[in-house]
Amino acid sequence: MTLPNMSPVNRPRPYIWAAAIFSLIMVALVAAPTFAPNTFPFLQPLKIDTDPENMLAADEPVRIFHNAMKAEFALHDLIVVGVVNDKHEEGVFNAETLTDIFELTAFAETIRWSAKDSGDAEAEQTGVIAVDIIAPSTVDSIEQAGLGSVRFDWLLSAPPQSDAEALAVRTRAQRIPTLNDTLVSADGKAIALYIPITSKDVGFRVASALRDRISTFDGDAVYYITGLPVAQDQFGVEMFRQMAISAPLAMALIFVLMWFFFRRLNLIASPMIVAMVSVIGAMGLLIITGNTVHIMSSMIPIFVMPIAVLDAVHILSDFYDRYPAIQDRRKTIEHVMRELWQPMLFTTLTTCTGFASLAFTPIPPVQIFGVFVAIGVFMAWFFTITLIPAYIMVMPERAFVGFGMGANGASPDHEATPLARFLHGVGAVTVTQSKLVVAGFLIALAIAGYGVAQIRINDNPVKWFNPDHEIRIADRALNERFGGAYMAYLALSGDQSSEADMLADEAIKRLGALGTPQALTLADAVKRDLPGAGAELFAELRARAVAARDAAEDDDAWYAWDDAALALDSAAQAAEIFKHPDMLRFIEKLQAHLENTGLVGKSNALPDIVKTVHRDLFLGEPDAFRIPDTPEAVAQTLIVYQNSHRPQDLFKLTTPDFKKSVIWLQLKSGDNIDMSAVVDSVDRFIADNPPPMAVSHDWFGLTYINVAWQKKMVSGMARAFLGSFIIVFVLMTVLFRSPSWGLLSMAPLTVTIAVIYGVIGLIGKDYDMPVAVLSSLSLGLAIDYAIHFNARSRQIHAHTGRWDETVKLAFGEPARAIFRNVIVIGIGFLPLLLAPLVPYQTVGIFISAILFLAGAATLLGLPALITLFRHTLFPERTAKCLQNPSSPPAQ
Amino acid sequence: MLAKPLIAAGAMIALAWSQGFAQGTASPADVQEIVNKASAAAYYQGTNGRATVHMSIKDAQGRERTRDFVILRKNIDDVDNGEQRFYVFFKRPADVNKTSFLVWKHADAEDDRWLYLPALDLVKRIAPSDERTSFVGSHFFYEDVSGRGPEEDTHVLEEETADYFIVRSTPKAPSAVEFARYKNWIHKSTFIPVQTQYYDAAGEVFRTYAAVSVETIDGHSTVVQSSMTDTRIGGTTHMQYSDVAYDVDLPNDIFTERYLRNPPLRHIR
Repeated sequence: MTLPNMSPVNRPRPYIWAAAIFSLIMVALVAAPTFAPNTFPFLQPLKIDTDPENMLAADEPVRIFHNAMKAEFALHDLIVVGVVNDKHEEGVFNAETLTDIFELTAFAETIRWSAKDSGDAEAEQTGVIAVDIIAPSTVDSIEQAGLGSVRFDWLLSAPPQSDAEALAVRTRAQRIPTLNDTLVSADGKAIALYIPITSKDVGFRVASALRDRISTFDGDAVYYITGLPVAQDQFGVEMFRQMAISAPLAMALIFVLMWFFFRRLNLIASPMIVAMVSVIGAMGLLIITGNTVHIMSSMIPIFVMPIAVLDAVHILSDFYDRYPAIQDRRKTIEHVMRELWQPMLFTTLTTCTGFASLAFTPIPPVQIFGVFVAIGVFMAWFFTITLIPAYIMVMPERAFVGFGMGANGASPDHEATPLARFLHGVGAVTVTQSKLVVAGFLIALAIAGYGVAQIRINDNPVKWFNPDHEIRIADRALNERFGGAYMAYLALSGDQSSEADMLADEAIKRLGALGTPQALTLADAVKRDLPGAGAELFAELRARAVAARDAAEDDDAWYAWDDAALALDSAAQAAEIFKHPDMLRFIEKLQAHLENTGLVGKSNALPDIVKTVHRDLFLGEPDAFRIPDTPEAVAQTLIVYQNSHRPQDLFKLTTPDFKKSVIWLQLKSGDNIDMSAVVDSVDRFIADNPPPMAVSHDWFGLTYINVAWQKKMVSGMARAFLGSFIIVFVLMTVLFRSPSWGLLSMAPLTVTIAVIYGVIGLIGKDYDMPVAVLSSLSLGLAIDYAIHFNARSRQIHAHTGRWDETVKLAFGEPARAIFRNVIVIGIGFLPLLLAPLVPYQTVGIFISAILFLAGAATLLGLPALITLFRHTLFPERTAKCLQNPSSPPAQ
Repeated sequence: MLAKPLIAAGAMIALAWSQGFAQGTASPADVQEIVNKASAAAYYQGTNGRATVHMSIKDAQGRERTRDFVILRKNIDDVDNGEQRFYVFFKRPADVNKTSFLVWKHADAEDDRWLYLPALDLVKRIAPSDERTSFVGSHFFYEDVSGRGPEEDTHVLEEETADYFIVRSTPKAPSAVEFARYKNWIHKSTFIPVQTQYYDAAGEVFRTYAAVSVETIDGHSTVVQSSMTDTRIGGTTHMQYSDVAYDVDLPNDIFTERYLRNPPLRHIR
């Protein structure tokens, strides 16, 4: 076994200086490029990343597809402005509110910044994409205009002059399926504006500009600004609030609790310093290596702090208890370091293992989180074994007058304080009632097992905000009134492999139907070149037909060639599968199916446009609200649609070649479990109702991206956890040179993790991102207490040779150290409950629960188990007599 | 900027013409007169006319769609900037073959428009409304094809160069249009508008028309290639005119609702 390095005890000052200089350098390396980026271009500034998409690596196929589809269908990130007016009988459909909405829209169209602002002369303008805004004054309406004529015009071309005009706008909008329940709420009382922006990072600026404008309106309407870009900005703000307020608050509470136990302000400052230096080191390294501060990495300080304080509390606790007996700080600290050296090293190794294993999960932010927590933990160990002894040595000797447990009276160790007496009693009970205690834990495990089976894997980044957060309020307001505020997109793509054959068949069919010698010549050419023939064949034959037509000597020949050329062009259009009525009817059926799931509030797709235009071409009759019967009729309906103010809208639902199409889904819930149910439901539908032409289907949109990374995370976490569980077991076996002691050490963490996840299952808390990450923390913390207890018990047993004596001593100083740890850190992290984001609250409450459970499992379970299996665990009494607990043999 | 090469192109065209036209053409003092002449030069040449048009619509992603159509036009009573009839017959894409538009353009009233959709066997009257909507999905507006009335804007001669009158026009009814103003480069000798730039309220150009190529056909200066670029939606539409002819035999009854279902085959070949 390695010996503790006593150099910090002998030469304390260089260690303190080194730690101080290290911290200052770290702070400087982060601060310099962050505040003066131009002066230090070679350094990495602080970069905040609040984009949930980054839970997946940039080269993840799901993300590549998502971005490719967004580009192909010109879909942008949206800011959604929900407008509600509860004071007016007809909601927002009164002249005043609609006028405000008209003005707000006109203002939104102007929110953009020229290239000069971004410093890039070549860059396009940034801000709002005015032409794609969905608002009453920016969308077209189609309606009957008397005498059998049809009118295409703006839905709201000018501010309404009367409430009646405002109501007419509603009536028109509700007739248009793509607007109803999207622009106008289902109850006809509210309006939602969809404001696309050039990129997510202008979200905050755009939202602020909108808020400023809204504050100038004096109507009764309430405006809810939401949408992912806004949520992300809020997230960044709350992340900093957490790091700047909640984490320091936790530190302060830990400080107070330590003071309660150890009563020396200057002494307990040392664990705080260790925690600070470790956090600064871990976060500093994270930033200067160019990693971003993401929701995950922003939690690094919260994870490093308890672990950093943990070892320091062990040292202080031991020191506090020993000092009155030894009465010499040098001798006391040397004694303490000898006792704790080995368990501290191993607890650090196991904790590092637990977190470093996260590097093998497939989620980049989780990998970075795991690696840097492991680095932080390692630094905490290093600073604990160097700074704390050094710190104690530089304190004036007089500071220790009257210090230590029972310092004022000379009572025996286990009777000095109420805590000592209590733990002494606990130790006795675990031995006498060992079977009962173990049975109790087994029952707890059984119940936990049932609970784990109930666990529901689910997440929803919007729910990371507190229920009373403005983002959640806006989210509810929109979901109550509209089709849904969560967007997902289902892409259908035609199968290209069979296309050439299909086109050739179509050409032969059409040319054959013409029957003219000219057409038949071309049909023969198609048949001849059929194998492997593609677009080139069509172009070549077409050129031939046109040349022959232009050289025709009489009208008959001219028309025959002209018809043949038309037949070829018509055949080529068979590849435009999303003009085909059967295909559109398939999508229509799929949409109806989706809306029957109860999860999809609304869907928009190509058939909606076709049916609406078709209806209004035929006098607005409800019977005509259908897909016409030929691809030509569909094409002509769509040509009419394109004579609008916004012809480009068509290509948000299909590509110009009509080979791909998108169904835009509005979901009521962004829960992954609901999105997954929709995905499964679509798979089943397509399996049961094969599309009329071969198409593949795939999802994109953020709601789907969340499902994709959750899937990766759950399986990745399970693997990482199992892997680190095995490594920790091996480490324990090596540490205690005994598989049975190794196994014993795993017991408290097994119970802790089982009970934690059992409770999560039983209370119905979703297994989400923070809950998943907690498994590593549980593993790291719960094993610590077991190592300390087992290592100290074995040291004592080697000395006493009797288990009953060992228990008595183990429930002296070692048990008190564990107990103090549980209280200090367990209570110390409760301030995280005040954090504004739910993941931090979850982490706070579960850190506390893990610590209390691990403490109980260690202090009750381990002695009970050792009592039951003492003959296996302490088999022979030969070797141990040679060991001396106060001076372990050198290696 | 795109405008520079276009102006250069316009200047070259102007140079080519200057040989064919008298050097001493007097420039009309009245700017309204310039605009009226420009409108006449762009939309009223001859008593009637026909052209085959190939339209290529490229979107912001460079994806192309095409339209092929024949356009027939007749000036009623041969008056410049007066009553007009248009007949537009689509040939391609194949699935819109035989789709046609009929327009009766009135000088002092809203136009009458009809639409024929052969696959639905439907002749539909389009109610008068905003004419600044897309023409069959292109970057051109319906109004760009039929012509904006010279009286709809207030015109100011902003600049006069060797070859151009540069006229700034501000709409009389701003709420009816999407632009704040536009600037027109009107060629001095032919009165062909060579370039038009549309400005938004922030003073930025968002839409640009250019006469890319001009030829003299039947004695009339004729734009045979033009383009429209719109930076807000991105992309450009090019129109290529061929088989242009003026003062052909176009009976009046071609421009009636009845002919929508029975296309005048001889005239649209």
